[in-house]
Amino acid sequence: MCDLCMKHGAGGKWYLNAKHYSNEVVEHYGLQDFLMEQYKNFEQVSMRKVHGFNAEGLDYKLRIPIIGRIIKNVAGNMLHSTKPPKDPFKPEGHIGQVVPLEDAIAILEECAAEPIIEKNCMCRYMSRGEKEACCINFGVMSDIIEKLPRFIPEKDKFHLTRKEAIARFTEHNKKGYIGTIWFGPFPYINNLCSCANPECAGIRPRFDFGIMSIHKAEYVIQLDKNICDGCGNCILKCPFDAIKKGEPHSNTIKIDIDKCYGCGVCRHACLQEALILCPRDLIPQVCGKY
Amino acid sequence: MLKKTKIAIDYCKCGDGKGVDPRDCCICLRRCKPAVFLLHQTLGVTEEDPYNPSKWRVTPQWPSLCTHCMNCVNECPQNAIKIT
Repeated sequence: MCDLCMKHGAGGKWYLNAKHYSNEVVEHYGLQDFLMEQYKNFEQVSMRKVHGFNAEGLDYKLRIPIIGRIIKNVAGNMLHSTKPPKDPFKPEGHIGQVVPLEDAIAILEECAAEPIIEKNCMCRYMSRGEKEACCINFGVMSDIIEKLPRFIPEKDKFHLTRKEAIARFTEHNKKGYIGTIWFGPFPYINNLCSCANPECAGIRPRFDFGIMSIHKAEYVIQLDKNICDGCGNCILKCPFDAIKKGEPHSNTIKIDIDKCYGCGVCRHACLQEALILCPRDLIPQVCGKY
Repeated sequence: MLKKTKIAIDYCKCGDGKGVDPRDCCICLRRCKPAVFLLHQTLGVTEEDPYNPSKWRVTPQWPSLCTHCMNCVNECPQNAIKIT
């Protein structure tokens, strides 16, 4: 279990603790106005100065040995903050985790607060200029999004039933999009995203720069070598470059489980069903490494 | 010493209401494989309508990931991008 589960999971996974989805949390922290302000200016947030560091050109600073480490720590601490959120222009307490299809279905079936809607993904809009409805929002967040026209998909229906939401998420997952669940801000969960690498603004800082902006999933992929025929479809599907070709003439593939985020997307490409998700805690090599 | 990639966008030709609204074009965003560019509202917008077309621009946010494929430079209809 990751540190989020230890602290906020009530004995289970943090994102399956229904308390974090409730409207009481919103009222207790006064999050309604906070979220409205944050999402009204959402595209600005990633370009604002954070603790005096300008976002433009920050990537080269992150590569400087000691200064880079300090910035990574500062950014990580801000994202992991558990203090009551104050500044809507800072991504305080905005920490997430990769979730495979099964856990996303459990979230949508049992935890997500009504109403459920789908909205245009802002990460994709900011990095590609495309409006694609691949984020699913719950509860108070749905009411806020309804008041901001640029988030609303250009189709008749964006309110979803639980079954429809599961169908939409499954569709994105099969397309190769990584499922992620977010505290936004802590301790309120309102967003189940499906996005890709490098478009996702949560995965990019972690994957390319090592900032702890997202946790790897509670799972890791394992290969059944007896079934694998080495077709290599999964190599193309893996968004994290964790799957490589095996030894020449071996007719199988090689998984680097240190690189695996446990999104489970590669399974959709495997016709033999040779890829299986295992709990991270059961594999000593990656146990506790989130 | 790390050699830095400098990506310069001429905002007189693209964005800020002076040239073309970057939201209508987005060719550089789509053609960039490592997604170096970011489309965003310019800073300091609080009271005014944040969807005002004159308040958006494209910024090269992650120049260190640039692969120098030059797709953005060659395909920008305004010739607004320079990479050195």
